[in-house]
Amino acid sequence: MPAPRPPRIFHVDMDAFFVSVEELYDPSLKGKPVVVGGARDQRGVVSAASYAARKFGVHSAMPLRTAAQLCPQAIFIEGHPDRYRDYSKRVQQIFGRFTPVVEMASIDEAYLDMTGTERLLGSPLAAAHRIHEAIKQETQLNCSIGASQTRLVSKVASDQAKPNGVLWIAPGQEAEFLAPLDVRKIPGVGKVTEKYLHELGIRQVGHLAALDEEFLRAKFGKWGLALAGKARGADAGGWFDAQVGGHEDPKSISHEHTFNDDTGDETKLLATLDRLSEMVAERLRKHQLFARTVNLKLRYSDFSTFTRAHTLREPTALDRAIADAAREMFRKAWRVGEPIRLLGVGVSGLDVAAGQQGLFDAPANQRWETALTAVDKLRERFGSDAVSLARGLKGKFRERTHEALPDMDAPAVKKPE
Amino acid sequence: MEFTVSKANLVRELSFSQGVVEKKTTIPILSNVLIEASGDRITLTATDLELGIRCSCPARVKKAGSGTIPARRLLDYVRLLPDADVDVKVGDNHWASLTCGRSKTKIAGMSRESFPELPVMPEKVAEIPAKVLAGLISRTIFAISAEESRFTLNGALLQLKAEGLTMVATDGHRLAMVEKAYELPEISGVYKALLPRKAMQELVRLAAEAGPEDKVKFSGDENHLFFELGERLLLSRKLTGNFPDYERVLPKEQPHSVSMAKDELKGAIERVAQFSDDRSHAIRLQVNDGEVRIHSSLSDTGESEESIPVEYTGPSVEIGFNAHYLTEFLKALGESKAGFHFKDGNSAGELRPAGDDVEFGYRYIVMPMRI
Repeated sequence: MPAPRPPRIFHVDMDAFFVSVEELYDPSLKGKPVVVGGARDQRGVVSAASYAARKFGVHSAMPLRTAAQLCPQAIFIEGHPDRYRDYSKRVQQIFGRFTPVVEMASIDEAYLDMTGTERLLGSPLAAAHRIHEAIKQETQLNCSIGASQTRLVSKVASDQAKPNGVLWIAPGQEAEFLAPLDVRKIPGVGKVTEKYLHELGIRQVGHLAALDEEFLRAKFGKWGLALAGKARGADAGGWFDAQVGGHEDPKSISHEHTFNDDTGDETKLLATLDRLSEMVAERLRKHQLFARTVNLKLRYSDFSTFTRAHTLREPTALDRAIADAAREMFRKAWRVGEPIRLLGVGVSGLDVAAGQQGLFDAPANQRWETALTAVDKLRERFGSDAVSLARGLKGKFRERTHEALPDMDAPAVKKPE
Repeated sequence: MEFTVSKANLVRELSFSQGVVEKKTTIPILSNVLIEASGDRITLTATDLELGIRCSCPARVKKAGSGTIPARRLLDYVRLLPDADVDVKVGDNHWASLTCGRSKTKIAGMSRESFPELPVMPEKVAEIPAKVLAGLISRTIFAISAEESRFTLNGALLQLKAEGLTMVATDGHRLAMVEKAYELPEISGVYKALLPRKAMQELVRLAAEAGPEDKVKFSGDENHLFFELGERLLLSRKLTGNFPDYERVLPKEQPHSVSMAKDELKGAIERVAQFSDDRSHAIRLQVNDGEVRIHSSLSDTGESEESIPVEYTGPSVEIGFNAHYLTEFLKALGESKAGFHFKDGNSAGELRPAGDDVEFGYRYIVMPMRI
């Protein structure tokens, strides 16, 4: 038996992806503060900001209006999700030429398992440069690449390499590399954990790594142990435990819409639910997944928020089934006429198999599925507005995509009493 | 009321009431059995308002009358008595005194005034051999939906025609349909009724005591169905609502089929199913040249495969099924051979009895799983 090959994991992160793609179409944007997400006075949040805008403190997930205050001279654009997806796909295809094990972590970043490519591509640094070069040549986009033996270190390394850099952390150097960094750099450490760590006097990853495991466990529970592991550069906790590509399937899919003006117009609200359901179903089909549970979220003007969940009889990837469940829950939950600020439709309990087919609805469902798969293809070619269910037409709104979901796997840390 | 009855008779008749009396004690009187004594018999009645049963047995009645006694407690106690006569006396205070040999017991009863009146059986619609009725039920009852919200599927559709009987049950994933040719000259046109699962269970119990020639007198009114077998009467509320249009989903033609020994197929599926997903019970049936291959795998724990030789020369077809759906049919199948009829991996598969000894016209349609 040959000795197991040392792991070789790359994390590739596109630099200011949405803005860079916009610049390809409109070179006049280059170097200027650009905010993608919508008009400056619109509700909703920033999906991406150019480096020039970031200097003013603008970052993604920030309300657009806040961004406009911080950086009044910024150019605000709605953005083109179809273009981003198109470029994301091109980049993914390039990855595919280097390794079969590619996990797109979001639209603009990916983990590549490059284990075993030594002979073909040379040293990690050389291999990373080849990927970097290929992306630049074929898409004119910049990216940053982190390379190491673990996903975590590679992710942190790609961040440190930004912009437009390549950074390889040699085996054995991981702890040393992480030690001087701010604890916030560890994926999974969000605002709340950071604050709490700061209160404990822990500011750098090195401080964290030096702590006794028992102490961390007492303070943070299981998550504390994962944190300690991460501080030493190990893939610990959450999806960092998983193999690259081993966790491709999302656990849930959801879409939300914040109305520009709060509305109590039932027709509009129902149409929005239909449109959101369509978007959710389309993503389900794209991942070839089927959902067991449909979730509804509604937020009134006073920010009071309600969620509801409904488990379906049979798993589905059909717009209609999701929309019907969402509408049903909405009818029961909504205080009729009361203005709503935000609606969200989500699915969970995802399964790769549709599972059991129904006797009485299978033929109709199969026809729907065939039709909707064709619709998905049209949308892919001509944009998401190309085709829509009639009921969802009145609920049309601009689709917004986010470059990366901020710290999805970070559990809120509860402060011990 | 005062009477003497043999312990064996009392236990036998009381036990029929156990499946009927209310398990939840929301209405206390429904936990009781009504005992009425007159002439040379006693009559025992139990009901949960959905289902009712009335049985009777010979007794030496000293004083006619009636009373109600907690059914479960009475049976549990009487069962433990020696095989002898039991004297039962219910006084004005509704307490029942039981004396058997040297055993003496008093059980608190309740006034019969609050015991619900059972509807009266109308004129019979048809007479059905008890064994035929039980055969129809045992071949369909397992396919009834367990989901209470789908109330029209919480029972089976019974159809009577002049030339025979049909029973159909489905849970929306699979459907069992059984037919028996039997002349019912009383019937003109089609008589349809939706029979709740609980009534079907009790009917099977009643039929188990019946002789081979015994017949069930069947009738119905607007809301109820009545089954009388000898001295025992079972009545049930009808399920309301429309049973789905099942004929629409019966496959018109199945281009391919194979036949297998029932026990061999059942054993193979049961073994392979050990390695199927706990929730979906998904297994794959692959029909190849000369064999049916049954296999399943759990990515982390293991996999299993069986092969059954068959006469088959058609195209290779693989279909995913819930293993439980298949074994439930095979357990209900009386015949020794099963025929599997199919089209492709996306269409319903069908199981039927095969061979020369087919007793009932029996079709079992199972929708595939997509795996």
